[in-house]
Amino acid sequence: MKSPSALLLALALSLSAVPAYAHHSFAAEFDGAKPVRLVGKITRVEWTNPHTYFYLDVVDAQGKVTNWSVEGASPGALSRRGWKREDLKIGGKVIVEGYRAKNGSNLADGRLVTLPDGRKVYGGSPGDGGPGDDGTDHGSLPGTSK
Amino acid sequence: MPLLQHLCQLLYDSAFGTMIRESNNAFPIIESIHVLSITLLFGTIAILDLRMLGLVLRPIPLTRVARAVLPLTWSGFAVSFVSGFLLFWAEAAKNYSNPAFRAKLILLVLAGLNPLIFHTTIYRRVHQWESLHISPWRARAAAIASLSLWSGVIIAGRAIAYF
Amino acid sequence: MSLHALFMALAHSPLGHAMQASKWDFAIVEMVHLLALAVLGGSVLVIDLRLLGVILKGESARDIGRDLGRLLLGSLTVMVLSGIALLSEEAGKCYYSPAFRCKMALLAAAILFYFTLHHRALIHTGSAKPNLWCRLAAAVSLLLWLGVGIAGRVIGLL
Repeated sequence: MKSPSALLLALALSLSAVPAYAHHSFAAEFDGAKPVRLVGKITRVEWTNPHTYFYLDVVDAQGKVTNWSVEGASPGALSRRGWKREDLKIGGKVIVEGYRAKNGSNLADGRLVTLPDGRKVYGGSPGDGGPGDDGTDHGSLPGTSK
Repeated sequence: MPLLQHLCQLLYDSAFGTMIRESNNAFPIIESIHVLSITLLFGTIAILDLRMLGLVLRPIPLTRVARAVLPLTWSGFAVSFVSGFLLFWAEAAKNYSNPAFRAKLILLVLAGLNPLIFHTTIYRRVHQWESLHISPWRARAAAIASLSLWSGVIIAGRAIAYF
Repeated sequence: MSLHALFMALAHSPLGHAMQASKWDFAIVEMVHLLALAVLGGSVLVIDLRLLGVILKGESARDIGRDLGRLLLGSLTVMVLSGIALLSEEAGKCYYSPAFRCKMALLAAAILFYFTLHHRALIHTGSAKPNLWCRLAAAVSLLLWLGVGIAGRVIGLL
């Protein structure tokens, strides 16, 4: 068996290929039973239609670096929630609380994202059925700014 | 890098392509126009095809239906083509390696060849059969090909998002 | 049962579970919805452009309406059925979506209009040139159906 870090690296690299974005509800792509809390430095931002992505390097207790991708709504939808591309500074520290992709890859949806400037923003869509969904576009997770 | 892929990368990296791809409203609007234009393009040609198959508008001669419908179909094609090209410009590098996009282009070419063949062969004698409720078998074959190929284009187009 | 409870029941139904679990099932239903959309749009266009007096002027609007009406209602049925399946995949999102509610309101209006004033306009015009009211009916019909289509797109964009 390959060493775990090589495997993780392979997974991370495979994620730089096209992530699945043709889902329409939380349940179709993400697993509510696999919560993740990622803390790391932003390495890349794709502020693109139809979905935005940002990538962060997460360093674990052993010092191993894993690159994760976080999927978000379209630029238009995010800007209506108060996000700007500039909010995701490369090298800035970000905290992502979300749920892992069903297929187990290093992809998460950013349900609650703490931006480098300290603001907390909600990443879900109203009614998408994920945690924190109360039908509004700011959600009901603790600490979310409106 | 193959030349075609290089060209796609150039389009993708261009300021214009990037602007569309990262836009708040331009991309959604262009995409919506592209999706809704299938009514003008496929919806109208489907009626002509169904007439040839004898399923709709039987009392009306084929040439009359064609004269009514084809300007709409061509308008639909123009809108689809322009909006589609803009979407391609924004996504070119990603589309290059997308199997659904490649399938869509191939089906598009075939969907364009079909009427070319039709108009230069059986349609030349249309005045002999335009009033028949069911058109001759060669016309029916072209109609079935048209319905299938354009459906394929739409299906492949939707599948792009899944690859 | 409240409207919200109804939507949740749909989401938790066997249909809902099947649609949520499989991304390709959803894709296939979407594709069917799209193809039916094109056919519905095409039939609306030809019927209403005749009612406007723009195409097929020598033919009877009433007969065209009756003939293509079968295509219109057939494709509309496919759209409603596939639409319910799509709804079961994202019932919560649709419940809260202003675009979805708008779409349903416009759809109800379009269908109601089709069976009442629009139908009368087609019969009244017959084989003749349409008068102002009939052309107005055609314009209203086109706008309502276009509105349904646009609202449908906006659901996914908000």
